[in-house]
Formats: sequence, C-alpha cells, structure tokens
Amino acid sequence: MAKKKMANKKNSYSMIMVVVSVLIVFVIIKVIAPYAFMILLGKDHTMPTPSTLMLWYMILAILACLVYVSTSDLKWANFLSFILPAGDDKFKALFQKMIIIAIPLLVGWFVYSGTVPGTASPVELRIQHPTLPQEFEKMENPFLHADEATKRKCIEEGKHLYQQNCRPCHGSKADGNGPFANAFRLRPINFTDPGTIATVVEAFAFWRIKEGGPGLPGVSTPWDSAMPAWKDVLTDTQIWKIIMGEYATAEVQARQREEMEH
Amino acid sequence: MNSKKLNFKIVFTIFLALFLVALTVNTGMAEEGAEETVAVEASGDAGEVAEAEEEVASVPYEEAEYRNFFGIDGRLIVWIISQLHLLFAAFVLAVPLFVVIIEAIGAKSNQIKFDNLARELTKLLSTAFATTAALGGLLAFALYGLYPGFMRYMTDVFHPYMFVYALCFFGEVFFLYAYYYSWDLLRTGTGKWVHVFLGVMLNVFGTTLMMLANSWATFMMAPAGIDMKTGAILDRGAAFHNFLWMPVNIHRIIANVAFGGFVVGAYAAVKFMGSKTEEDKAHYDWMGYIGNFIGLAAFIPLPFAGYYLGREIYSASPVMGNIMMGGAFSWTFIIQAILIGMMFVGGNYYLWNGMARIKGAERYTPYIKYINIVIFFCFAVWLTPHNLPLSGEERALIGEQYHPFSKFFGVMAAKNAVVNLLILSTFFSFLLYRRANKGQTMPFKSHGNGAKITMVFTVGITIAYLAWYAMGLKGQDLSEVVKPYMSPLLTCITIQIIALICALFLTLANKGKLAQTLLFVVAASISVVYFWYYGFVLMEKANMVLRFLSVTQVSIVISTLIVNTVIDVFLFKNAKEVGGIQWGKIPNRAQYALLLLCVAIVTLMGLMGFIRSGLRMNWHIYGYMQDKSAGAFTPSIAYMGWVVSLIVFLFLALVAVVFWLGSLYGRKEKHV
Repeated sequence: MAKKKMANKKNSYSMIMVVVSVLIVFVIIKVIAPYAFMILLGKDHTMPTPSTLMLWYMILAILACLVYVSTSDLKWANFLSFILPAGDDKFKALFQKMIIIAIPLLVGWFVYSGTVPGTASPVELRIQHPTLPQEFEKMENPFLHADEATKRKCIEEGKHLYQQNCRPCHGSKADGNGPFANAFRLRPINFTDPGTIATVVEAFAFWRIKEGGPGLPGVSTPWDSAMPAWKDVLTDTQIWKIIMGEYATAEVQARQREEMEH
Repeated sequence: MNSKKLNFKIVFTIFLALFLVALTVNTGMAEEGAEETVAVEASGDAGEVAEAEEEVASVPYEEAEYRNFFGIDGRLIVWIISQLHLLFAAFVLAVPLFVVIIEAIGAKSNQIKFDNLARELTKLLSTAFATTAALGGLLAFALYGLYPGFMRYMTDVFHPYMFVYALCFFGEVFFLYAYYYSWDLLRTGTGKWVHVFLGVMLNVFGTTLMMLANSWATFMMAPAGIDMKTGAILDRGAAFHNFLWMPVNIHRIIANVAFGGFVVGAYAAVKFMGSKTEEDKAHYDWMGYIGNFIGLAAFIPLPFAGYYLGREIYSASPVMGNIMMGGAFSWTFIIQAILIGMMFVGGNYYLWNGMARIKGAERYTPYIKYINIVIFFCFAVWLTPHNLPLSGEERALIGEQYHPFSKFFGVMAAKNAVVNLLILSTFFSFLLYRRANKGQTMPFKSHGNGAKITMVFTVGITIAYLAWYAMGLKGQDLSEVVKPYMSPLLTCITIQIIALICALFLTLANKGKLAQTLLFVVAASISVVYFWYYGFVLMEKANMVLRFLSVTQVSIVISTLIVNTVIDVFLFKNAKEVGGIQWGKIPNRAQYALLLLCVAIVTLMGLMGFIRSGLRMNWHIYGYMQDKSAGAFTPSIAYMGWVVSLIVFLFLALVAVVFWLGSLYGRKEKHV
C-alpha cells in the first residue's frame, strides 16, 4: 500500500528549480547587468560585474536556495528525493544524468580556471579614505566665516587655480576625465561622484592636496595614488581656494562637522 | 563509534595546536624575552656578574611605563582578557534583564513554566557570574601590571568612581545571590513580588556597574575634563560623563540583551538535541524559541543604536569616523555586514522552521519564499563594499573607479535602506509566526476600553515623537541653498503621521490587518524606496541633510514597528486557536540555526570590540596620551581574525564548561 502510494506520488523537481534559480541569478549578474548598466548610465561599453562580486552574489544565491528548501521537513525531503531512482519518469532520469555530469565538469572547470597560469594583475583590497594625520583634523578653511563677496571671489580664484593645476588629471568638469586620465592604471577621482569628496571634511581634501601620494600614511600600504604633493608649489591659502573652487566645479558639498552636544 | 570519537578528538587537538602555533608565529611572541636571555648568556662570567650586580644596586628605581607578559606583548594579553571579560559580563548583565520580565510574566499569568524558565536561566547566571568576576580581576591585574604608566593616570582621573564601582559590585553580588537563593522562600503572594523587586535591584546595580566601566573606555576615545596638553584634571564629572559615554551605554545595553538571548538559545539548542524524553524536548524547544525571540527583539533596534554611536564617533572626531567607515577599519565593517546578514537569515530561518510545528501555519508558508528573496537581496546590498577589490583588467574594462554595483549599493544611502527593509521583513516573519496558530479573531470592541486607551496612547506617543522631530528639523539653522532639501523629509513625516492616524481608526473599526498593511506599505515606500533614491540626491546636492534623512528613516520604521505590534496584540487577543503548537517537534536544523546565531553574535561582539578599541590607533587616550609600547600598531585584518577567532573559541569553551558545571547541581535536584 505504502509502495503504491509512493509510486503514485508526483516527483518533486525542487532540486531542478534550485539549479534553474541559481542559473537565472548567474545570467542576470553576468550577462544582463553589464548591458543594463551600459544603457541606464549611457555608457559606450558594457560594465562587466567584477569577479569578487560574482563570487559573493553567487554564494548568496546558492545559500538562499538551500535556506528555502530546508525551511520544512517536507520541502527538504522533496529536495533530496530528486536523487532517488527515477522510475518511469524520463524527465527526471534525464535531469539526474545532467546533474551527475555537470557536477564533475563544474569542479573540473573551477580547478582548471583556478590553476591555469595567467597574466592577470593581482586583486587588491582598497581602502576608501587613508587615515588623516591628527594635525590636520582640527584645521578649518580660513574663508569659512568670510562674507559672501569674499567667498565668491575665493571660489572664482580657486576655480582658476584648479583649471591651471588639477585639470590635466581630474578634468575641467572635475569628473576625473582630464586629458592625462587615461594614462593612469587607477583613474583620477571623479569629484562629481557623491561618494568621493562629498563624504569628507574640507581638512581631508586639504591634506590630500598638500601632501599628495607621498604623504599617505604607513597604515594600509601599498596605496595606489599618483597624486603629487603640492606643498612646494602652492601656498596653504591657494590650496584652500582650490578646494572651494573644486567643490563648486563638481557641484557637491563637503561633509559638515556636527556640533558636539550633550 | 569510540574510535571515531577518538579520531575527532585527535584531529581537533591537532587543529587547536596549529591554531595556537600560527597565532604565536604571527605575533612574534617571546622576541623581547629572547633578547633578555641572550643578554644574560653573554654575561656568563662570575666576575662580570658580580660587577653587573653592583651596577644594578647603584641604579636608582625607575617607574616602568610598559611591561610584557612573559615575553608576550601586553596588548595582545589585555585584548584577549578584556574581550573575554566583556563577553561574560554581557551575558551576566543581560540575562537578569529578561529573567525578571519572564518571572513577572509568570507571576502575573500564573504560569509556572515561565517561573521555571526564569529560575533555570538564573542558575546559568550564578555560575557565569564567578567567571566574569575572576576575568574582571585578571583584567585589572593585567592592566596595572602591563600598562602601569597609563593606569596611573587613569586612576588619577577616575579613582573616586572606582570605589563606587566596587560598591556596586558588592550590591550586585548581594542581590544576585539573594535573588537566586530566595526563590523557594519568596514563591507565593506578595513574596513573589518582593522576589521580582530583588531582581530589579540586581539589574540596577549591574547596569550601573557597566555604565561606570563604560565611561573609562569612552574617556579613552573622547577625553573630556582634562587639559589636553598637560593632562591636568579640570573637571572629573566631565571626564566621567564624556561625549561617547551615553551612546556606548545605549548600544551596549541593547547588544547585551541580544547577546544574552542568543546564548540562551544556543544553550537550549544543545540541551534539545541531547534530550531523551519528549517532555525535555518540548521544554528546551520552548526555551530556544524564547531565547531567539529575545535575541531578535533586541537585535532589531540594534542597528539604530549602532548608527547613533557611529554618528557620535564622527562628531567626536571626523578622523576617527573616517578611519572607522572609510579608512583602516572599513574592511572589518564588511565582515560585520556578513555576520549581521547571517544573523538575520539565521533568525528568520529558525522562525520558518518553527512554523512547521504549528498547525495552521501552512496558510502563511507561501510568504516565506518572498521574504527569503527580500532578505537575501538586502544581504547582498548590505555587504557590497564601496571599494571593490578589482584587478587591473577589470578596472580597465569598467573604465572608472567604481562599478555601478559598488556605486549604488556600497554607500550609506543604500545600506540604510536595506537594513530598514531587513528589519521590516524580519518583523513581518515574526507577525506571521505569531498568527500561524490563530484563527478567527475577536472584534476590537470586545477587548474593552483598556484596548482603546492603549491604542490611542501608543499612536499618540509615536505621533508626538514624530511631530517633535519634525519641529526640530524645521528649526535647523541651515543655509538657504540646503534648506529646500529638508522639505521632502517633513512631507514624509507628515505622510507617516497621517498613516498612523488612519491605522488607528481602521483598527478601532475592526480592520486591524488592513491597518498593519497600510503602515507596512507606507514605511517601506518611504524609508526603503524613496529614501534610497533621495539619499543619492542628498549626497550630491546637500550632504548636510543626509544625517537628518537617516534619523527620519529610522523614526518612520520604528513608529511602524511599535504601532503594528500593539495592533497585533489586540488583533489576536483571545482569537481562536487553529491547532496549537507542538513543542518539541522542530527539526534539528533549526537548532543548528540557534547555534549559528550564538557563534555569529559572539564573533560580532569580538569584532566590534576590536573596532571600538582599535579606532584610537596609537593612542591610549585619544589626542592626549600616546601608546609608545612596542605593540602599539594597528593589527592587520588577518591578525585580527586570528585573535578574534581565538577569543570566540575560548569564550564558547569556557561557557560550555561553566554551564556543564552548573548542570551538575541541577541533575541531583531538579526543579519541577
């Protein structure tokens, strides 16, 4: 009786559904996303998903599927039942064979791609903001409390100084597309991106301009910065003006300090 | 079978040995000790030794600034001991908080099972308490022994509070043992409430104790009340009530409760899997559920408290803030994101598996797949870093510094949106779990005037808070350029207030479910969808307003959670039960989820402890007293990983031993 019941029971394809779901996620991230970003952001090339993210997102996709199929005993049994004999179900038998062949192929591909000699440059962990030395922390823009007319004048002077000194790399629109930009492995920062200079206080920008790449701290080395140190070329006042002009050109605002209140 | 066990033991011992050897190699332990040995060997000649002795006798006594621990760097020792002490202390402080509540629920509802649970948890508490105290003593010795110069100054500043600390410790000991040993004596009537009072006093002393110690740690991060050049003590009260003191207090209290809940959950899981009888299984299943409930309930507001603390760290020092979120410590926050994501997944997974033991839950199980997708999507966004590790080729293909995934998912606007969605989804899972067993509901009218008053009061309070915050926003002194960007926030708060009023009327008109749906939809639309987009607008145009956006976002979500909880309580009060909960009929998978939650939160606390303390970089007292010892470097992520793993392992091993010791007594005298 029980055997008959088992035989009549419809086969569960939840394992296949899991495989299909993972494949769909893979296709979305690997194939669709690069084109979607190209169209949405108006680029002339695709934006391929970085390998690190591919790995992380695929791990999450597999984990999500496994979590779902094990949320009850029944679902878990259905998921595992796919490896039981297929009986008369030809589709199931076909899928089983496909899975059995696919697993060693996948493992082989991973082993091959992981060990085959290549010339890829190493992946580096990057840190957004180097640690600002303490002597710069409390620095304030000397024109912060100036009247509006003086501020406007400083911004105009700053814009001029910016175009003279910074434009070759950071671009005339502060978008990181200066004429020299393509020569760098790590392109110059795009200041119009709200995730860059808009997230730091002005004192931070002051330090980066004044000390440049050579002044970066020992912590978290090696740094990837071709920024020259401008302290021997520009005066402090000029640097502050450049900062004002740079934020104005990029149309973003610097992080504002919060009041310390009890 | 036995040989298999033996193999496991051998493998485990080898693993442990390798682990410790690797740690030793990493830290370059015993280097200083080695130098001393060489020095002694070099002066082997007897005459020279005598001369050296004479020289030593004539050298005047000098106060040491730093010492090492038998050749091991003092910083490593203090790190391990203080973290272990903190983990035990978190458990000892958190458990009484909810034990008293559980006991009070039992006393009020006359359900003995709550009383038994409270008592069992207190038993764990009393055994863990001695270990906490011993580790605390060890920490004090380590600090005074290894950092005498620094501790001399700390003692100068805080010595009056140290006596208060000792007094509170006595108070805690007294009330803990009075609470534990008077359980039988004060079992009934007024006695029971006297007993609850003892528990409350235990909490008062315990929390005060923690807050006192917090001020010393936060003083080191944001010193106040001293002259920053000479170190002269100007205002001891200000040094105690320093800028980061309250944010850390709030964050620690909530985190401790979450931690305590998950540790209790793991204890119950181990007991459940080892139970032989159905009765024991049912008991420990229920205990695990309560542990997870407490853990998740405290875990839900924790990101808000964390955000508040982080923001205050930024205010105290933008440099420290940048080091934390965008600098040397930014990658540790990716690890934090993974752990937090795992905890949300684990907590939900436990609830979903738990629904299998509730008849009637099948009505709600189809929702699980959607919640699962949402949670994993949020997890993916939550852990996407702004600075992706890219190879040179990838960078060239992308053509700019940030890939769109890291640009749109990697910044705070996105993170804040998804963490709010994670919280709303987990809360939704909770609601489904709660109603799985419930059938036909009773009309709201049947709950009497008390229910009406509670509803009106809750909605009134949340609206009052939102209105107060909105007024604050209006009164902000901002430039004319930035000001217009505040108005969408005010509009969103107004929409939420209107939604809350509508929800109140809908609930009173017996449409509680519709009211809940309305609040969910409004909160998700504003706090997740709209604010995700608006966050980017603000980042670009009015960075200054971002900080108000986050608080508005949180306020809207919190008001939804509070009002929806109260609606749910009345909605399903006295509702017909569909089939009852079959305690004990939960798969072992769910128990492993509880274990995962425990390991994850212990690791999380270890990691966050490292970040909070490490942010000072090479300062004992930030901006005033530098750490000039040999070990004053910021550890690499790998080194941090080794040490935090060791701490997690030591803590779990110690807890297992302590709980096992506690259970020896219970075996002889089982309380019924």
